[in-house]
Amino acid sequence: MSTPDEAAQRVFGPNVLHNANLLYDIKFISSCLSGAVAGILGLENWLGFALFLAATLFTTAILHFVTFRGRPKKYVYGGLLEVVNPGQENAFSFILVWTLFYGIVHVYD
Amino acid sequence: MAASSPVPSFYLDPQIRDWVLFPITLVMILVGILRHYVVLLLQSPPKRLPRAAIREQRALVQSNVLRATASNSPIPFFFYKSISQNLSKAFADGTYLKDGPSKGDAPAAPPNPLTDPAAMDGMMAGMKTQMVMMVPQMVIMGWINFFFEGFVLIKLPFPLTLGFKSMLQRGVQTPDMDVRWVSSLSWYFLNFFGLNGLYRIILGGENAADAAQNMMASPFASAGAPQAGAPQDFGKLFKAERDNLEFAEGLHKWIGEDVEDRILRKYGRAAS
Repeated sequence: MSTPDEAAQRVFGPNVLHNANLLYDIKFISSCLSGAVAGILGLENWLGFALFLAATLFTTAILHFVTFRGRPKKYVYGGLLEVVNPGQENAFSFILVWTLFYGIVHVYD
Repeated sequence: MAASSPVPSFYLDPQIRDWVLFPITLVMILVGILRHYVVLLLQSPPKRLPRAAIREQRALVQSNVLRATASNSPIPFFFYKSISQNLSKAFADGTYLKDGPSKGDAPAAPPNPLTDPAAMDGMMAGMKTQMVMMVPQMVIMGWINFFFEGFVLIKLPFPLTLGFKSMLQRGVQTPDMDVRWVSSLSWYFLNFFGLNGLYRIILGGENAADAAQNMMASPFASAGAPQAGAPQDFGKLFKAERDNLEFAEGLHKWIGEDVEDRILRKYGRAAS
């Protein structure tokens, strides 16, 4: 019943920031851990990226059902779409950790 | 499908892992944290502006806030109008201007950014941050190129095109080797991009070690700051603000406007 502008005005800035930071940290840790899993399992090429995608979706599902209790719009302004997006930096972190563990486990004796 | 039979994978000495892989990562993490604290220490406390200058800026901020909340305003129209008109009048008369109401004859020249001390501080702070960011990157890259050159470090789990070969296999002169075997410099690049998230967790959100943010900020900051920074002609800003205030007065809507009806309706005892 309120216009999107009015609704946007009622959003409290510091809370949004806090939530966004928390979400970013969760996504980062999830990327690192999935990178480690991909590296240890020795996944290559698209299999590794598929694991990244699966891990992202899994994290989002947990966030959606447990943390947000089924109502992401209440906690995140962009809704579920914003929650799913891992962000470019986390993708790089995934690749970094993936390469690291792949090297440690499979390349070095 | 490949030109050769399945390529036998290399066996790499574990000492490479111990003495190159981990040290490079460790050094980059520590240098990032060091950069953050250096920037923090280098920041001089913000200069205290004289009261007139602060009043000038805050008047503008107050007017902006007033306008932004006009459509859901917590104050009834009468009060809103009085504040708004007071501000309008002050802007028109120039009572809030730092140097007093304009004399009217010659347009005031905007202070030269090189001599105006307030602007200089802003630019210096920006440049200092840039230097602190760039110098360690150069140093680390030079260090890696000098000490860790000429051997293959790690195998990438994903394939890349041949174009990356020259960049990622810098010291190793083998035209046939798979692009997935890379040298130390590429490990540096991977770390460079991938450690930002780690900095964010360790140092908190507003850390000065974030590489991507700095790269984005630097072209804009050094080019945009002289224009948008000090020589803000508050006279012109105030005039523009007057028009905006008038416009916002029309948009004003008190959130308590029909509150009696809304409450009644909410509890199911609406009059009609």
